[in-house]
Amino acid sequence: MGCCYSSETETTEQDRDERKPLIPHPNPDSKPINGAERNPANLPSTRTDEQALLTSILTKTALNIIDVSAADSQGMEQHEYMDKARQYSTKLAVLSNTLSQKKPAPLPSLTTQPHQVLASDLVPYSDMQQVSKIAAYAYSAISQIKVDAKEELVVQFAIP
Amino acid sequence: MESTLEQHLDDTMKNPAIVGVLCTDQQGHNLGCRGSLSDEHGGVVSVLARQAASLMRDPTDTPTVCLESDSGNILMKTHGSITVAVHKMAS
Repeated sequence: MGCCYSSETETTEQDRDERKPLIPHPNPDSKPINGAERNPANLPSTRTDEQALLTSILTKTALNIIDVSAADSQGMEQHEYMDKARQYSTKLAVLSNTLSQKKPAPLPSLTTQPHQVLASDLVPYSDMQQVSKIAAYAYSAISQIKVDAKEELVVQFAIP
Repeated sequence: MESTLEQHLDDTMKNPAIVGVLCTDQQGHNLGCRGSLSDEHGGVVSVLARQAASLMRDPTDTPTVCLESDSGNILMKTHGSITVAVHKMAS
């Protein structure tokens, strides 16, 4: 709605006063009233003051109104809307496909016949021991990782 | 720096029955891998090992998780802050 509002009102109001929405309203309004009080006998000036007052009221009202009908007319046609909807849904479908492909990182395929695997021999204890040993070696290898300071991180520049 | 670990992984792969090995930390970051196990598997391996450990009554007792299959077993074992997975063919 913000876009509709800005495009609708700013094109008309911007030409007159670009900064009107940013400045508080009472100041431009009070000036003509004060002017009218000072010169009550001067008819043309009061007329222009009245006009200024009316314009300011009109401007204020226009600023407060969001013209929905104008926003609708700026919108797209029915078939355009349907086209966009279709386009977005196809794009979303492609994205969801790639996402679902990315998500699982399956371990190497296990089995299609679980009964055979379940009926087979137990995992040899030697395998368990072997894995424990590999893990222990890997842990000790990782604990040996340390940063080797090869050169000074802070170097003095040789200033002549 | 990590040459000892790399060497250890290479040595492990010299066993003809072992087709893949992976080493991961507690967060699933891959510390090194060979063969059929790649860095994508680090997260799954660390989580499986942690979940299995949560079933144990004694928190210091770390279980060995074994995925049995037609094409060998994947054994996972946590030691300290790391978890190792070994893909081993049935001998």
